[in-house]
Parts: sequence; structure tokens; C-alpha cells
Amino acid sequence: MKLFKTIILALLLTVTVGCDDYLDLQPISEETSGNAYETASQIEAALVGAYESFQSSEYYVWDNLLFQDVRSDNCYAGGDNPEVFQIDNIDIAATHSRLFSHWSNLYNAISKANLVIERVDGITDPLLTEERRSQIKGEAIFLRSYHYFTLVKLWGGVPLITNTIISTEAEDVNIPRASVEAIYAKITADLELAATLLPDTYGNDASVNKARATSGAAHALAAKAYAQQPNPDYDAVLTHIEAVESSNANYQLIAYDQLFSGNNYNNAESIIEVQYLGGNEGNYGPQLLLPPSISGDSWRKFVTPSVDLVNAFDLEGDTVRKNASILFESVQWVDEFWGNSQGTAIPFSYKWKNANGFASADNTYLMRYGDIVLLKAEALNETNQLQAAITEVNRIRTRAELSDLTSTQSNSQQVLRETILKERRLELFQEGQRWDDLARYDALISTMNTVVEIDLRTGNQVNYNMTEAKKLLPIPQQELDRNPALVQNPL
Amino acid sequence: MIYKKVVFITAIFISIWCTNESMAQSKVSGTVTENGTLPLPGVSVIIKGTSIGASTDFDGNYSLSEGINDNAILVFSYIGFKTQEILVNAQSIINVQLQEDTSLLDEVVLVGYGSQLKKDITGSVSTIDSESFESRPNTQVGSLLQGQSAGVQVISGSGKPSGGFSVRIRGTNSINASSEPLYVVDGVPTTDTRAINPSDIDTMTVLKDASSAAIYGAQGANGVVLITTKRGTTSKPKVSLDLYTGVSQVWNTLPVLNGEQYRDLMTEMGLSTDWDSFTERTDWQDEIFQNGFSQNYQASVSGKTEGTSYFISGGHLSQEGAVRTSEIARSNFKINLDQDINDWLKLGTRIAYTIYKDVDVNDNNSVNQGGVLLGALTTPSIIGVYNDNGMFTSNPFQNWENPLASTDGLDREYNNQRFLGNIYLEAKFLENFKYRFNYGIDNSHGVFDSFLDPFRTGFGVAIGGQGINNTDKKSYYIVENTLSYNKAFNKHSVEALVGSVSQKFTYENSSIQTRNFASASVTTPNGGSELFDASAWKSERANASFLSRVNYSFDDKYLLTANFRADGSSVFGPNKRWGYFPSFSLGWRVSNEKFIKEDGLINDLKIRAGWGIVGNDNIDAYSYLGRVGSGANYPFGGVTQPGTFPASIENLELKWEESEQTNIGVDLTMLDNRISITADAYIKKTNDLLLNAPLPTATGFDNAIRNIGEIQNKGIEFALNTVNIKSENLTWSTGFNISFNRNEVISLVGQELLQGSITGGRGEASLVREGEPLGTLYGYIFGGVDPTSGNAYYIDNEGNSTFTPSPDDRTIIGDANPDFYYGLTSNLNYKGFGLFVFLQGSQGNEMLNVTRIETEGMIDPKNQSIAVLNRWRQPGDVTDIPRASFGNSDNSRVSTRFIEDASYLRFKTITLSYDLPQSIIDKLGITALKFYGTGENIFTITDYSGFDPEVNAFGGSNTVQGIDFGTYPQTRNLIFGINATF
Repeated sequence: MKLFKTIILALLLTVTVGCDDYLDLQPISEETSGNAYETASQIEAALVGAYESFQSSEYYVWDNLLFQDVRSDNCYAGGDNPEVFQIDNIDIAATHSRLFSHWSNLYNAISKANLVIERVDGITDPLLTEERRSQIKGEAIFLRSYHYFTLVKLWGGVPLITNTIISTEAEDVNIPRASVEAIYAKITADLELAATLLPDTYGNDASVNKARATSGAAHALAAKAYAQQPNPDYDAVLTHIEAVESSNANYQLIAYDQLFSGNNYNNAESIIEVQYLGGNEGNYGPQLLLPPSISGDSWRKFVTPSVDLVNAFDLEGDTVRKNASILFESVQWVDEFWGNSQGTAIPFSYKWKNANGFASADNTYLMRYGDIVLLKAEALNETNQLQAAITEVNRIRTRAELSDLTSTQSNSQQVLRETILKERRLELFQEGQRWDDLARYDALISTMNTVVEIDLRTGNQVNYNMTEAKKLLPIPQQELDRNPALVQNPL
Repeated sequence: MIYKKVVFITAIFISIWCTNESMAQSKVSGTVTENGTLPLPGVSVIIKGTSIGASTDFDGNYSLSEGINDNAILVFSYIGFKTQEILVNAQSIINVQLQEDTSLLDEVVLVGYGSQLKKDITGSVSTIDSESFESRPNTQVGSLLQGQSAGVQVISGSGKPSGGFSVRIRGTNSINASSEPLYVVDGVPTTDTRAINPSDIDTMTVLKDASSAAIYGAQGANGVVLITTKRGTTSKPKVSLDLYTGVSQVWNTLPVLNGEQYRDLMTEMGLSTDWDSFTERTDWQDEIFQNGFSQNYQASVSGKTEGTSYFISGGHLSQEGAVRTSEIARSNFKINLDQDINDWLKLGTRIAYTIYKDVDVNDNNSVNQGGVLLGALTTPSIIGVYNDNGMFTSNPFQNWENPLASTDGLDREYNNQRFLGNIYLEAKFLENFKYRFNYGIDNSHGVFDSFLDPFRTGFGVAIGGQGINNTDKKSYYIVENTLSYNKAFNKHSVEALVGSVSQKFTYENSSIQTRNFASASVTTPNGGSELFDASAWKSERANASFLSRVNYSFDDKYLLTANFRADGSSVFGPNKRWGYFPSFSLGWRVSNEKFIKEDGLINDLKIRAGWGIVGNDNIDAYSYLGRVGSGANYPFGGVTQPGTFPASIENLELKWEESEQTNIGVDLTMLDNRISITADAYIKKTNDLLLNAPLPTATGFDNAIRNIGEIQNKGIEFALNTVNIKSENLTWSTGFNISFNRNEVISLVGQELLQGSITGGRGEASLVREGEPLGTLYGYIFGGVDPTSGNAYYIDNEGNSTFTPSPDDRTIIGDANPDFYYGLTSNLNYKGFGLFVFLQGSQGNEMLNVTRIETEGMIDPKNQSIAVLNRWRQPGDVTDIPRASFGNSDNSRVSTRFIEDASYLRFKTITLSYDLPQSIIDKLGITALKFYGTGENIFTITDYSGFDPEVNAFGGSNTVQGIDFGTYPQTRNLIFGINATF
């Protein structure tokens, strides 16, 4: 029996030797929350990851066009996707799959920004200068604010989460909606902080200065938020725009066709834009929109400019912006609004110019100075500085080779208000602004219920049946199912 | 590495030590014959109460030198003969005559880490030996299991040759961890059975309950399938050749609209085109379905000479699918070798090398995503295959390419080489001890090559062609040390086992993708000018375990088995890494009691009861860690910068999913062993489910893995084997098994999971809810079609009709779980002729036919099935098919309208065979020659309206079951073959 015991002991020993080490395996191709945020380069990588949401969130790739231009009067769905048709028809159920993916993606982007904000102060790596530490924090705060601005415009009040989630207990994850006001208050306060942390520029490389958040970008976004919030603060709008205009970044209007030539990104007008290089850092959006002659495809494209939009360009005699924005081409498919037979010339959204097989190097403007100029006009008009407002509008019109505003276009605050809205439509088509503009002007119901679009298959006018409730999207059903603390928007 | 060395040194140490030991024992030899004349080869001779034994050679001779003493009892057993037990009692030559018998009770059954006589088994174990599957051709391990054993449900996700099987032993135990059983091939655990050659398999043992599977502790929660490959048994080398060839085809096609009917429908939707330019009449089902030819060649040599037993085999299988371009091919080599070095030391090896290739077909997708089956149904007949410019044609209204663009326009091929084998060493020492060292490896290397040419498809043109080369490499090893002890004294018999096991699994892959090709002649990624993707990944996991078992029997009447295993797994947090898995089982051989008369009605009667806990750690490596992923890159300054992202939430408390199982059973053999019955009842509760619990995504995470929830499976199963006729020329035996399993989600801490997204944004159709089984189908209640508007109306949760139900109106609309499933075999032999029939069926399971949603929805310019000829067209039409509604899926929501009864009874196999009579084969100088023809899936009795009821678009998913979405159907196969033995 002694022998027996010896054997057993030997056996047990063989396994127990190094047993704990044997089972204590660390990931080979991943980092962990314990070792991923220690050095300057690691926190930079976490910040890069936060920016990456602009590429990986479908909302910022092209769905902003669906919810802003297609949902409004600018465009039809085009394409073949029943869910996109539902967006066009403003018939969006809580189970619509794009709602949940956008909600998830935007909050994922916020969580990445929260992580950087939380971790950056704990980095002890001497390679991280105090200047850079502030900038990183400012960049992350800007990104978080940008996404909350997107969320609050789509859904109204949403859960306000500013820390990373480390516990999965119900009370830590079932977070109720904050009020619209609370979200805007957080956005504007954060942006005012970020503006002090961020530089005007990061040096002379435009492809850095237009890629990263800057002080100018924080002021511009703050201006937009103050204008969009339930009770706009136009003085704050003007203050922040003044900060944009006095920035050392020296933002300027450039020739309109140069904005959308497809090879002049990161220009002087750009404040911040989503960067693409093509290839595996490519933009798949353009392939979905561009006509067969450019994309090489023969399938029906999305985001088809509407008859009403094209008429708006034509009525204004606006050829510069129309030609930069829309391309007509005869196609092999039928279009129920432009021509219900094959071979009809139909318009395409044309601000992106290169398709490159779903891997375009075309960037997307998140904010550009032209938008801010018109916002300044809007704020001046709302604060009864009509003449100054007209001057700003005319800067934009001159650039579009249009004559200055006539008095019939600007003889009262109300008239000028409508003129500015129309100007914004032509200036900012296909830039994901239209629905928000109509919302800000409280013109969603009147516009969508009066626009005349004829479905050629039936000969009937489309009834968009716009209601007060449809101004906001339903909270995604899947999120409601997961979080009992959420309350649905009126449906 | 240090660890491995220590093990090796230990093994050597033991062997050196053992040589110094003198082992006093005698030797027994003799001849086994049938009725004193014909020698019987291959008879198992075992010392009772041990696993020590030998088998007779070609001349019926055996010799035993180990473990023999005067009290030893030799057990002679051979399939088809009555087992005899003889006390050695100082005899050195024991000649035995065996009497024919039909009882299989006394066969030796492999259990984990050892073997037992069937009569001594107290757990729920079923065996499938090669006899039962040699009578039909097989290409996969899964098909050997299907319908053969009660409680074992083989789910075929599809009929494609590369499709594989999903196996559930007594129901689905988990939601996110794997529910597949553990396969142990000659002592080497694996989860991938594709490379295993059915012809090499000798027996399979299915360990169904916790008391039998607990020896595999942490990996045993889903049951264990032990696969033993063949070994040499005869002194004369046995050469065997098997050849077959066959053809497979779909057994069912679905009628679709012809060109005129399609034009009517499109016109009704307001779509018009230059119809005169579309004059083709293409039958797309004709285009994609084919007669798939298969061939299989297998050869083996086996034998046993003094101290050496060998089995060598090689073979090649190639099989085309019934859908264009799908195929698999497999070449395999196998060497099994056992060598007695001396009377106490033995070593051996099992080596298998397999070369595997498959070409998959895109199914479970709509034509938008290139799905071939749905492409064949929804592509209108009015277009041809190619345009004038050489590109594949598209739908007249949309660039949905015809299904041949998927099958022929995209090259895709997976090749895999796999080496699976082990070496073992067995040393016997003292009187009753045996030490066994086993080292096994399973290494495979796969390459997936794909090429999309830059000319023929729209996507190919857009991206300039695409070349992909992905590799995967899996390495696994297991080191086992076990020590067993056997002792029989008076009426007591004890067997004990202790051991340690360590296992490590390493995985790595790499991928390269390039685009922009100048031609279609170079298909590898070097031909593309633009590097689109290049990446590589590695991960590893490890397990360490200690195991122990005691078997005790008293007077061959009262049996006890107890197991205990401790397991550590690297996937769990350091606080909860180790799990402990005990089990106990008892058996009572009632037939050995005095009150049961011998030679009476009852030959054997045993009652079994067992309880145990087994575990599951089959989740991703590093699951407990808060992982931070790479690849969230973004360009600054025109240069892509590396970016990271948080991939998961840390959970240091993550631990084993535990399954507590109780089993009672009875085995009964009666009427001169002509009837045998096994019945079992069980209840399994899986606690602390490893659940990817959904989180509100506002947290930034979609889910977090936690131990929450409980699932219960309970059921009864029943097997009946009878020998109906047994005469000189005619034998007829039948086997029947039936299983009833009830699955229920007991707790999910108040959560509900919705899974299985349905095409067209129709939401999810699979519900996991407390109180309901996994596989619950979820959707709206279809009310009918409003004769005025032609729109579908639904019944809301208050019982009212509505055209626009809200998501809250969804309810349970079906259950994919069968009420019961069953198998029936019949084996009739008359002189040389044999007729084997195998029926298999499933009753009461429902299917959501999403193929019908896609082909009856009428929301886009897809061709539709002829069911839509009954659609509503004008006010007053009374029909159950709503009107066409372009771009709007309200008329084709996931609803009771698309739920169908998918019960089926299927003639899986009918084989007619002929064995050449002895007089002829003697002249030919061969041992046996058999010709056979087999039909598989010749008849299927079902009400299901789709291609085939035996499919699931979500494959072997634990939760999403019973959904058909253009899934590759099971095929009808005709096979002709020859078996020859020399």
C-alpha cells in the first residue's frame, strides 16, 4: 500500500505542479481592462477607437441621410429595402431594426468616449504631456456631446450616461430617460468645457485639424445645440459662432463645387469631417447612392432626390448647387416618382463623387462653416437683427452665384425666417440636416402634409400623414424589452 | 512544458520500477468452438470483474497470462452466443464450447476510462455497434446515431453534404454554451466529427445520464459519445473492401409563377417594363438542382499475431450535392496498433489522418444576399442565365442576380488536414493494479479559398474581383494518467479508478483579402492590387482535472457506481475556476434473486437509479475578462491609427454551468433473450446558465456573460428489440425506440430573449421565456384577409381584429420541439438475401416557414409561389392570401399563417442485400461477398409544404429552432455497393 500511495502522490503532483499557471491564461490577441490603459499610446488608441464610431456606426455613414433627407421632403427611399421605404413614408415602428442598431451604435460610441474621459487622468506615462492630456479629454467630451446631440434630436430625452458601466446589476444598467432639457444642458456645458481644453488647430496638417475635434468644432456644435434646444438661446448661438469665426483655424467659405468635387476634402470651410482613405478604411455609402455610370452597378440606388427638391433648385435658378448635388441619368429600372418605365432619366444624390466598390475615399462633413453662416443668419434674424442676417445669407448666395435677397424675400422676420430655411435646404441637401431644420422651425407637420409627391403607379398623391407624435422616433422595442425603466414616446 | 516533462518522467519512472517486480501468476490457454467443431475467432475472454482479457484468434485459440489465479473466473463472450463463466481453479488449458444465443447482455461496453459488462452497468448507456450501421452506407458519424438510440436526437440543419449534424442527448441544456455532446475518439475528446470515417468505427457508446457521464465532469453535461475504432482480432489477416456509388437528388420541388403570372403580379403592383424583351422560360429549380454523384472506396487489413494487433485502413469518399456545385471529398488513413511488450506492459497507438474538402452553398438567405434556394424560387422565369455581356442576369426590376451567380460566379473551397491520434501505455503491477498513461493530440489545419471574378457579377465588377485566403489551425493535446484497482473476493467485486487529466486547446487563424484583379486566371490574393484585409488571431484555453470512480457489486445482484471529478477551466474567473462533479448510481439485478426462476420467462431484469452533477464550460476563451479589442482604427493625417474598444464587461465570478440529473431505468430481457426492453426516465436541471444576458445597449454593450437562469429537461425513453423469427434460413429482428422530452426554461431572472431575425425587418421569431421551452416561436395571430381592402388582419392581445397590431400583440405561435421522436429498424434475412429498413420520425414539432413569407409576401419584384394566384385582387374577393403590397410587409408579418406542422415519418434507409453463398465464395477464395442497393429518404410522410421538414435555418442553435428559410433540403439518395472480405 505504500507503493500505491507513492504512485497516487506522484500522479497528483504531476498535475498540481504549475496547475494555477496552467489555467491562468491571458488573451493573446486582445488586451484586458486591466492592461489596456496604461501608456500614452494606449489612451491615444482608446481615443482613436472613439473616433472610429463615425465609420462603424451606420448612422454616420449614410443612415443620417435616410432619417434627415429621406424622412423629410428632400428625397425618396429608392433602392429595394422595405425598412427604408418605411422611413420615407414616416411609418416607422418601434421594431424597425435600424432604430435599434443606431441607438446601440450611438451609445457604444458614447461608452468609448466615457472610457477615455475616465481613464485619461490615471495615465502616469511621462510621454503624456499635460497639454495632450487636456486635449484628449476635450476630444472625448466633444465626441460624447456630438452623439448625445444626435440622440436627442432623434428620440428626445434619452438616458444620460457619463460613466463606464462595470456592473451588470439591474439598478446599474436600467437607466431611465433624462429630460430633453437635461440632455441639452449637459451637451452645452460639456462643449463649453471642451472648447477650453481643445486647441484651434493641431499644427499645419489639415487632415489632422479637420479630423480631430478642435475648439472651433466645440463652439460650432454648441451653437447648433443652443439653436436646436426647446427654448433656443440665440445670444449663446451668436457668442459661440463668434468664437468659431475668430478661431485661428480661419474658417472660410470656398467655391461650392470645390466642397463636393470629391478631391478637395479637409478644406478651409470644413470644421470637422469623417475621414476615409479608401480600401479597408473606405466609405461604403457612395456606392449605395451613385448612378451606374459612376458606381458601375445596374441596381436601383437609394436616396433619390424628390421632385419637390429638384423644383426648389430650379425655382431659385440655383444651378451651381444643383449641379454639385444632383446628377440625372437614364436608368434600366423604374422609379415610381420620376418615371414608371425603363430608360427614364432620374436624379441621383451626388455630393459624394467616388464609389470605388464600396470603399470610397470620399469624406463626410460633420460640420462646415457654410452651415454656421446660415445658423448665424438665423440667430440674427431671431434676435431682430434682420439686416445683419441678410448679409450672412447673401454671403452664401453669392457663393452660389445667386443674386442678393430681394425685399420680398426678407421684408419681415417671418419672411426672412422662411427664406433662410429654404436657403438651408438648397445649401445643405444630402448633408443630414433637413429633418432637424424643419423640426427647429416647427415646420415638420405643415411641410410634410402639404408636399405634393405623385406616385406614378397609382397617380395618387403620397399621404405622409405627419403627426406631432412622429416628430420623434419610437424608442427601439428591443431596448424597451431590455430596460424596463424606459418609457416609450407617444406613438 | 515543464508539466509535460514531469508527466513523461513519471511514466518512465513507473515503467522502470515495474520491471523489478516479479509477478507470480499462472497462464491459461485453450480453444473456443461453436458446438465443439467450428473454431470461433474473435471471442472475448475476460477475467471477471476486471478489464483484463484477450480475444481468440482465427483458429479459436486464446491465451491469458495476466491476472490469473485460482479464484479467477474467465468470462467467454461473443456476439450471438451465450456467455460462459469458468473458474480457473488451477487449470492451464480451458477449452470452451459456446452455445448460440441472441442475448447481448454480456457484451463488454466501453464506458469512460474503462469498460464494463453490460449487465453491470448502472447508468443510462446505449451502444451502437458496427453491425447496426454496416448494413447501410454512411458518410458521417451523425447518421450512425440518428434513430438508433432512445434519447439521442440528431438534428440535421440541412441536407448539404458539408452540413454536418447537431446532436442533442436528452434535450437542450443551455442557451449560450454549446449543447453538443462530447465525442471521445479512442480516448481523445473532440467536438468536430466531420473527419471521422464511419467505416473505421467499431462501436459507439452513448453516455446519457449524469452518473455515466460524470467521469467526464466538466465536459459531460450534454452527454458523451465514445467512439471506438476497429482493431485486429483474427490471426489470419482479414482484408476487407467496401465500394459504393450513388446518386442524390431533391425529392420535392415547389411550383412558382410562370412568366405570364409574374407579369400580372408586377402589373398589379404598379411595376412595368419592356416585357417583350423578356422572352426566356427558365426553370430555376431545374438549373440549380442536379443529380449529385457520390463514390466511396474503403479498404482495410486487420489481424492479430502474438502480442500484436493491428488495423490499417485507407479510403476515399467524394460526394456531390443535389444543389449545383456543392460537394465534399474526404480521404482517410488509419493505423491502430496494440503491442504487448511483456506480460505486464502494453502499449499502443491510434492514428488517423484525414484530408477533407468541401464546397458550400449559400442557403438560408434571400436572393438579395445571394441565397441559392430562395434565388431559385424568387427569380422570375423570364430571364436567361447570362446577359449578352457575359454577366449573370438580374431580376428585371432589381439587381438581384440569378442563383447561378452564387453557385458558379463565386469560387469557394475549404480544405482541411487533420491528424488525430494517441499513444498509450498500460502497466499492470502488484496483483490488482493497472496504470495507464495516455497522450492524445488532435491537430488540424484548414484553408478557405475564395475568388469572385471581376467580370460576371455586379459586386465583382464593382470591387474589381476579390480573392480571399483564410487559414485556421487548431492544436489540442490531452495527457491522462489513471490508476485502477480490481479485486473480486467472495461475493464482492470492487473496481476503483483515480486519475488526472490535463488538456490544452490552441486556436489560430489568419485572413488575407485582396481586390482589384486584372483577370480571372489568377484566383489567389496575389493577383489583386489592393490589400483589403490582412489579419491574424490566436487564442488558447486549458483544463485540468482529477477524476475518481468506484464500482462495487455484491453477489452480482447489487451494483453501485460512484464518481467524483474536479475540474479547473481557464475560461472562468480565478475565484470560481474549479468545479466539483459527483455522481452515484445503483443497480439491482432482480433476475439474480431467488424469487425469479431461472430459465423461466425472464432472462435478465435490472433496475437502475442514478444521480449526478455534470458541468459545461463550452464558451469562448477568456470569457470572464473585460477584454479590449483592437482594430477600431481611424485615420488622422491620412494615416490609419490603431484604435481599441472595450469588447466585454469583466466578470470575475463567472463559473461553471451545472446540470443536475436524475435517472431511473429498467432493463429487461425475456423469452429466451428474444425480447429486450430498456426504459428510462430522467430529469435534468441546468443551473447557473452561462448566459449572454442582454443588456440595455445604452450601457455600450449588447450583452454580458453571467451565470443566470435555469433550464429543465425531463423525459422518458423506451427501446424495444425483438427477434421475431429465428430459423435456419430465415431471421427477422426489429428494433424500436421512442423518446419524449419536455424542455422548459424555469428561470431567466425575469428576462426574455428574442432571437432569430426574419427577413424584411419583420422582427424576431424565436422567444426564450420563463415557463416555455427553448424553440418557442413568436409572432402575430393571423385573423384573415379583409374582403374589402384585401389587407391581412391580425388578432390583438385583447382579441380584437386590427390591420396594424403593435409589437405587444405578438404572442406564442408555435413550438419547434417534437412531442416525441422515434426510430424503427427491421432486419430480415432469408438465405443470402437481406432486407434492412430504417424508419425515423418526429411528431408534433412546428415550423415557421419563412420561405413562404418570402414567396407569398408580394412586397417586391421577386417571383412568388403559385399560392399567390389566390391573392385578393378586388373588393369582395374572399381568400386567405392578402393583396400585393409593394414595399410594405404588413400583409406578411410573422404570424400563425406561416406556422406549419413539420412532423414527419421518413424511410431513412431501405437496403436490399445479397450475400453470395458459401459454395461460391469458397471457389472464389474469399470469405464473404455482399452486393447491396440502398435507398435513402425514399419516402417521406409529412404535411409540411416546404422543400423538406428536416431543416433549420439556424442550424444547431440552442434557442432558434424550427425556422425554414430557403434551407438546403434533405436529399433522396440511391446507392449501390459491394462489400468483400478476404
